[in-house]
Amino acid sequence: MTNLTWTRRRRAAAATWSAFRRDRRGMLGLCILVVFTTAALLSYVVVEPTDLDPALAPGLPTQSPSVTPPLGTDQFGRALLDLLLVGTRVSLTVGIAATLGAVLLGAAMGILAGFYAGRPIGSVLTALTDWFLVIPWLVLAIVLAAILGPTLLNVIIVIAVTSWALTARLVRAQTLSIREQPYIERARALGASNARLLTRHILPEVAPVITAQGVLTVAVAILSETTLALLGLGDPNSMSWGRIIEEAFQAGAMSNGYWWWILPPGICVVLVTVAFSLVGYALEEIVDPRLRGVR
Amino acid sequence: MSRGAGRLTFVARKAGWALLTLAFILAVNFFLFRIMPGDPAALLARSQRLSPEALAAQRAEFGLDQPLLAQFVTYMRETVSGNLGVSLVSGLDVTQLIVSRLWPTILLLGVGTALAAGIGVIGGIRGGWRRGSSFDSGSLYTSLVLYSTPEGWLGMLLLLTFAGFLGWFPAGGFRSSADGGPVDVLQHLALPVLALSLGYVGQYLLVMRSSMIEVKSMPYIALARAKGLTDPDVRRRHALPNAVLPIFTLVVLSAGFILGGAIVIETVFSWPGLGLLTYEAINTLDYPVLQGVFLVSSGAVIFTAFLADITYGLLDPRVRSA
Amino acid sequence: MGRGNFGRWRSRAALGVAVAAVAMTGGLATATSAQAEGGTTLTIGTTVAIDNPNIWAVNSTTEWESVTLQYDMMLKFSDEDLSAAPSLATGCEPNADFRVWTCSIRDDVKWSDGTPLTAKDIAFTYQFVIDHGFGYFTSYFPKGSTFETPDDYTLVWTTPKPMRGPQLPPWVYIVPEHIWAPYADKPNKEIKQASMFPTVASGPYVMTAADPGQSWTFERNPNFWGEAPHYDTIVYRLYTNQEAMVQALKSGEIQIAENLESSLLPALESIPNVAVQRVTADTWINLAFNFGGQGPDSNPLPALQDLQVRKAIAMAIDKQAIVDKVYLGAGAPGETIVRPLSVYWHLDIPDDQVIPYDPAAANAMLDEAGYPMGPDGIRLDPATGQPLILRLPTSNDTPGSEAAGRMIASFLEQVGIKAEVQPVSAGKVYDMQQSGDFDAYIWYWSGDPDPNYQLSVFTSDQCGDLSDGCWKDATYDALYAQQGEEMNQDARLALVKQAQQYVYDQVPAIVIAYPNSIAAYRTDLVTGIVPVPAGDGYLTPMYSYTSLVTATPVGAEEATDNGGDSASTPAETDSDSAGSDQAAGQEASADTGSGGGIPAWVWIVVIVAIVLVVAFVVIRRRPAAADRPDSE
Repeated sequence: MTNLTWTRRRRAAAATWSAFRRDRRGMLGLCILVVFTTAALLSYVVVEPTDLDPALAPGLPTQSPSVTPPLGTDQFGRALLDLLLVGTRVSLTVGIAATLGAVLLGAAMGILAGFYAGRPIGSVLTALTDWFLVIPWLVLAIVLAAILGPTLLNVIIVIAVTSWALTARLVRAQTLSIREQPYIERARALGASNARLLTRHILPEVAPVITAQGVLTVAVAILSETTLALLGLGDPNSMSWGRIIEEAFQAGAMSNGYWWWILPPGICVVLVTVAFSLVGYALEEIVDPRLRGVR
Repeated sequence: MSRGAGRLTFVARKAGWALLTLAFILAVNFFLFRIMPGDPAALLARSQRLSPEALAAQRAEFGLDQPLLAQFVTYMRETVSGNLGVSLVSGLDVTQLIVSRLWPTILLLGVGTALAAGIGVIGGIRGGWRRGSSFDSGSLYTSLVLYSTPEGWLGMLLLLTFAGFLGWFPAGGFRSSADGGPVDVLQHLALPVLALSLGYVGQYLLVMRSSMIEVKSMPYIALARAKGLTDPDVRRRHALPNAVLPIFTLVVLSAGFILGGAIVIETVFSWPGLGLLTYEAINTLDYPVLQGVFLVSSGAVIFTAFLADITYGLLDPRVRSA
Repeated sequence: MGRGNFGRWRSRAALGVAVAAVAMTGGLATATSAQAEGGTTLTIGTTVAIDNPNIWAVNSTTEWESVTLQYDMMLKFSDEDLSAAPSLATGCEPNADFRVWTCSIRDDVKWSDGTPLTAKDIAFTYQFVIDHGFGYFTSYFPKGSTFETPDDYTLVWTTPKPMRGPQLPPWVYIVPEHIWAPYADKPNKEIKQASMFPTVASGPYVMTAADPGQSWTFERNPNFWGEAPHYDTIVYRLYTNQEAMVQALKSGEIQIAENLESSLLPALESIPNVAVQRVTADTWINLAFNFGGQGPDSNPLPALQDLQVRKAIAMAIDKQAIVDKVYLGAGAPGETIVRPLSVYWHLDIPDDQVIPYDPAAANAMLDEAGYPMGPDGIRLDPATGQPLILRLPTSNDTPGSEAAGRMIASFLEQVGIKAEVQPVSAGKVYDMQQSGDFDAYIWYWSGDPDPNYQLSVFTSDQCGDLSDGCWKDATYDALYAQQGEEMNQDARLALVKQAQQYVYDQVPAIVIAYPNSIAAYRTDLVTGIVPVPAGDGYLTPMYSYTSLVTATPVGAEEATDNGGDSASTPAETDSDSAGSDQAAGQEASADTGSGGGIPAWVWIVVIVAIVLVVAFVVIRRRPAAADRPDSE
């Protein structure tokens, strides 16, 4: 039984991959992500800690791009290229970590809410989800950031807390429809416990939706982190793209004409967010049977 | 008779739900901001160079020397009777403050949302109907890119290109002077609205497009085609009305999200709305203002969600039993 | 079919109404304002709002400016050096034991509504302040102050103990009794919400209109007793970010910009016809050490109790580099705790006695003091065996604090001390100050022209209140008490300077920098501004309205000087900004009261329009629903 299930799952995964490969847009997104991930890994090799130190950075302040430094420097003489590489690392980390948190929380809440729908516990969970959807996310984020303090971990927590509700809602809807399926009835008739039902039957069915939604959430998480950093609430000790933009803004980059400082980080955010979205949409199309076959 | 009763219970249930949510929000409101570090009286004292006695008097005036629970009770009592309190920083009545700042935000979000929705819907219809066409690809990528652009960054770029570099628009604010006319306001509105719409048009376009794609695959579309209707007719009379429903929900719900969308844009463009008020109040820990704005915005979201649910439910009987 | 057509008609009507409602916004919102008249207008850009124009609610810097522009004090801050100078009072004389001061009041001053100003107004104001405990103002009145007016132009101020009173001078604005007497018995909340346009005051301008969150308008007081100002109207405009304000200065939307940060200096200096005013600092950036004793959570690094350690830290920091890199050169390295803008009281340490930037000497000092270098480059405290690691929070309400903190961390690394920079909100720093849960933090201090407040902060009994790190030093406390009791100005000056020197030597805190305030103005639009205090002072009324009274539109000055040979008239001085339709000539009018006040019926129209649009969409759905098969 188990072997069969695994074979089935493996084949499904392979089918998903070949379907994904055929999706040009998804592949484009994936390529972009590969490039950025490489850049993030590269940052560990290329960038020295002194390059990032405001007092010790080697370059001259606010140099415009030339042969070296290829992307110019900021007001402390730090090369923009170095900052962007490190920013890749930070932004990706925050995006993925926050999403993991949001998706885990959201999926758990969503599955339970859907599974127990109609019973008090289900209503409470649904209500909780709705309440989190109603609260203005930015205000909640700002307040949480002020309470917790601006460390990277806290930023991740803040974004996770403000993003889980959407996933939960979608997962709940999915769970509701799965719940009515005949094989669930059959399994229950055969004596399966709730826990078994949840883990062995519902979870695997919901997993694709969670994955697709998760990828899309990464895009949102990266945007959220950028917004928080722009407002001065990010972790000041880590150089995310949003932080670079915020520093540029504080230093009057546009008025002073330092375009190389303020444009590239924003462009990076756009590219990575688009990439995650493309991959996410491709996955969504594969996963949602209604959209499949309508090419 | 049973149909009327069904409708009534539905409305009543939704209304009860909305009120419960509101009550929860009220409670959260109070405690959420008090957990923030710092002491508004002390911060005020520092900036005003008050002596310790004056600080104690200030704290008493704010009611901050009461035990937390007593403050909570006072807060609930006053809020329920419509008194949102007085700003700790400026001494102004919070209700008045909110009212004076409400209009600019509504204007900004109203026009911005209408523009974004309008363009998004039109683009999404055409793109979704002719999926894979060059228009579709183009609009899809454009929407994605716009959706992925950080609002604040986009706003800054717009500000500095069109107001700074080109000088076509003013560099921020609601109007030039107190007797600026509608033309003046529109001039000041242009850039913030542009920034806002560009940020949201992608969302509407994508939703409309996927909704259109979904509807197009429905059997009744094939049926309508088989009946001999022309393509534009099929689209307009059968596909469109069904496809546009999610947008309808989205728009009505957006009407409620007065806060989150506005803070960033308002900060960049010096737009004197609720978002900016919130941002300023957070820095000074002005609890009554924060509580008031939070309440208004959550209330607006709850109310419009309620409205959307009701109208949806009253029109579509199937939804009522869910 | 019919229904379909009807739906379309309704939708068009709905959309039409919606559009009209939106378009009418501006007009309706300003329905209360009058038409523009001629006259010259000076527009000042600021990043700090006037939340409440009420004088008793004054708090933000722009609110202070607004009040300073409109009201007089009994004695003012001299335009030269901010010491006490005659204003409404021509002079004040103490009696022998400094417990009774008699002030002679001018007899030619009128309120803006024509009522004569007398000593009774002054006595009323002071009593009003004391009775209502308006924190900021009451600090100038010793307990038990009483005021008498033997005649209309004499004020007698009596206190149980000797006091300096008028010498300070009391930073209290005089308000008209006939306006505020009805509020004497009201609660503070109500007093602070009183709103009146135009204000009744004795200064050169009165506030006539307020557009909340946007702009505030002041017009010339026809009854002003001093030298007549050259501008008819002054408008303050709010910009939430610096860049936008610089653009506005460029386009001529504003003629003066204040609260600028040094980061914009390169941009400002590259704009033609813009002059930059680097105002001598009236704040200073503070690196405060924690000495412990605040409470159970107080756990500062023990090594900080050692004077040698603190001195070494002071020597390890290159203050000039911080000024150059963080404040782009707009400022001076910090020295003593009384800010340089208080020209009279500030102690300037002679160059040869300044603690130098000398990391080698700092290292030597630490070696000698017995702090051995540890294996990873961090020194160890022999008493505890722990490495010297400083938790260094920086407050986000202090511009440049974070960057300065990072530079300091990097400097300290050179002498074997590790600093962990933690940028936090001001609220959080306050909590840390109260609990003592830090080693050193970076915050700012700003003070009055009179040094008493600033000096008080370092005394022992401010621990738990204003003291940064609970430094307790008996010698300092004695010095502070002495200068407080010394009535002779010269003797007091010596004591104040002594106190500053003592703090400089004992290093309970390091004054990192004196950052300039930056303002800029269009030299081709406005001229003749006399900064206060003289030289590198403020262009805007922080301490005195002289600067705006002397401000003159370019062109008008030439007209009066040369008997009208210049081409431009006062009305033409203003902007050539594309895209905005305000001109110099337009005046903001009388009351708009609550800015965006929209009558109720507009709200109704807008809501109805939205409902109609929604209904339109819904109705369009019906015919299609009828076509659909019933399954699903």
